[in-house]
Amino acid sequence: MVRKLFLVLAAAASALAISGTAWADFTVLVPSSSEGDGLRAAADDYSKMKGTKVEIVQAPYANVFEQGANAGATKSGVFDIILMDDPWIPFFAENGHLEDLTPYFKQAGMEGPDNDFLSKSLAICRNPYNTGPYVCLPYVGNAQMFFYDAAKYKEAGVDAPKTWDDVLKASQTLTKDGGGRYFGYVFRGGQGNPVVADFMPIFWSYGANMFNEDRTKVTIDTPEGAAAMKTFLALRDVSPKGIESYNANEVGTALAAGTAASSINWPNWVATFEDPSQSKMVGKISYSPIPAGTKPGSSEIGHWTMGIMSASKNKQEAFDFMVWATSPEQIKISAERGNPPVRASVFTDADLTKQEKFRHYPVLMEAIQASTPRPRHPKWPEIENAFGIELSKAVAGTITPEEALKNSQAAVEQITGLK
Amino acid sequence: MARTASGTQIPELQPGGRLEHWAERHLRYLMLAPTMLILLALTIFPSLYMFYAAVHRISPNPDLPWEFVGPGNFVRLLTDAQFHVALRNTVVFTIVAVTFEFLLGLGLALLLDRFIRRLTFLKTVLMIPMMLPPIAVAITWKIIYEPQFGVLNEIMFRLGLPLQAWAGDVNLAMFSIIVADVWQWTPFIFLLMLAGLASLPVEPYEAAALDGASSWRQFWDLTLPFLKPVIAIALLLRVMDALRLFDLVFILTGGGPADRTKVLSLYIYQVAYRFADPGYAAAISLFVLFVTIVLSTWFMKRMRLAE
Repeated sequence: MVRKLFLVLAAAASALAISGTAWADFTVLVPSSSEGDGLRAAADDYSKMKGTKVEIVQAPYANVFEQGANAGATKSGVFDIILMDDPWIPFFAENGHLEDLTPYFKQAGMEGPDNDFLSKSLAICRNPYNTGPYVCLPYVGNAQMFFYDAAKYKEAGVDAPKTWDDVLKASQTLTKDGGGRYFGYVFRGGQGNPVVADFMPIFWSYGANMFNEDRTKVTIDTPEGAAAMKTFLALRDVSPKGIESYNANEVGTALAAGTAASSINWPNWVATFEDPSQSKMVGKISYSPIPAGTKPGSSEIGHWTMGIMSASKNKQEAFDFMVWATSPEQIKISAERGNPPVRASVFTDADLTKQEKFRHYPVLMEAIQASTPRPRHPKWPEIENAFGIELSKAVAGTITPEEALKNSQAAVEQITGLK
Repeated sequence: MARTASGTQIPELQPGGRLEHWAERHLRYLMLAPTMLILLALTIFPSLYMFYAAVHRISPNPDLPWEFVGPGNFVRLLTDAQFHVALRNTVVFTIVAVTFEFLLGLGLALLLDRFIRRLTFLKTVLMIPMMLPPIAVAITWKIIYEPQFGVLNEIMFRLGLPLQAWAGDVNLAMFSIIVADVWQWTPFIFLLMLAGLASLPVEPYEAAALDGASSWRQFWDLTLPFLKPVIAIALLLRVMDALRLFDLVFILTGGGPADRTKVLSLYIYQVAYRFADPGYAAAISLFVLFVTIVLSTWFMKRMRLAE
């Protein structure tokens, strides 16, 4: 009797397990962050409105890439949509993990995404960049801005920083007067993605680039690169001790707590800085485009974009959801939930711009339009790691700036096979 | 009805169908089957798969076939500077951390066993770090080490000492990780040593005392030799675990600054998942497995554990 009961229970459990995997109409992989939370909320709305069952799988930033890559490599079809950080697009697209959206647009009677999307937001969703077919749709309009405490800068004799020299001048004064408890500048110096993300805008603002135009040559170790490195290390000298391990949280906390005067940062931190329960600096932080070096400043674009996994079994449902979620109405709701928009109409929407918490929108829109994507290469994660190690060594002072550039050049040449 | 030895009556099985008879005859295999299947799926198959993957170059593109490279991935280990850095850091971490854990664990066990044997509460408190999830330990230490708002620098500041970057300083990062690991795993050694000490025979000590042997002499000539098997097991388990260090490094430093805390497990993770190169990651994993097996075998022979 017990044995028979055991067998029946085992059969029932197996049936439940099999049916459980198929309960959702489609599944979306998103990061455990404000971007993922926003899409989760949108998916809930969609489910209620359409009666469609949407499963949202949330994972930490790095795990989204890993799970997406794993699902793509094994063609598991476990995820239908992936919310990607834009530097991942070449990896996913060039390894056949992403669906070309062209036929879906055609079937929907659309030529492609409409012109209300910012042109730079759309450019990153094409692979190759700005020329190839669309492999995703932009959802969160992240691009770096320069955050600074205008009052402190004024005290230090700089009204509005236009160049990195202005930033250095103010930061040197503020750090000197800060007695080891207050600093003029703070940045993400942690090895890998953090230090690379905060170095690239400075690199570009001195006219440097990782590759030449047609991506046939690595161009890190150049006079422009050396000029950028010089400024970067001068900024290190006015930053808090331990900057070598700083990531977004440490930088955000330093600004919100009022222990640092300025940094390059991402727009999703604005909500934190303007929230009295999390910030001592409500209404005190100013936002501006990235300062200029020897060339105009350029933000690093860091959009979150939605793509359909090639192995998905629910591609049409996934496409319909993506088009709905990126419509002007939904992008406005997403903006109200704290995620920067990707549409001009939302950036200029009077309902939003009249609110204090969206006062950075004109600067952010300008920053996106003047942004540069991280070098578009399918091996970007490996390149970023190698470059990040050398930058980390330079920040830590274990090698000279010249060695950092030379080593980076050699490492990226080896990874990409470009000489 | 049949009876057990105690006289309890139990119902006899009624003759059933062929399936029931077959199940009855093979019951032992049926009972073992789920465990064997899980073992096969979670241990044996992945291990064999790892050997297979280690001799291939595996593209992240599923439409490209696996390319057989023979020992290519192992040869690559010889010239991979990042692997060499990770190997060196792992060795340094293992030697220093396990040495400190052993000395502190043994010292604490001797202290508590001899002088404060009855303080059960203290023994329990000392074991708490070991019971915490590694991720919780790592996050706790991250908060302690935080340069601007961390507890440690606050204490330094109040004492008028220079503030340190701890996990962010090239010269302190590995030390910071070792301290956190020692904090968590010293109780493990302590627990084993305490158990070992509790099982020591009393007579040799009485005889030694009669002969006028000093405490040090008793420790050196009696306690240590008696504890040798326990020490060997404790060191073996800790070394094997230290070679796999991941959580603390992942949370506290991410391998930085300047690659000073990159250890093998972290590098394997990066190669497999960030750089999407599972073939090479499998080769590094096999290398670590090989080193662990060689080290364990040598250690067991040296300590004559097999006897």
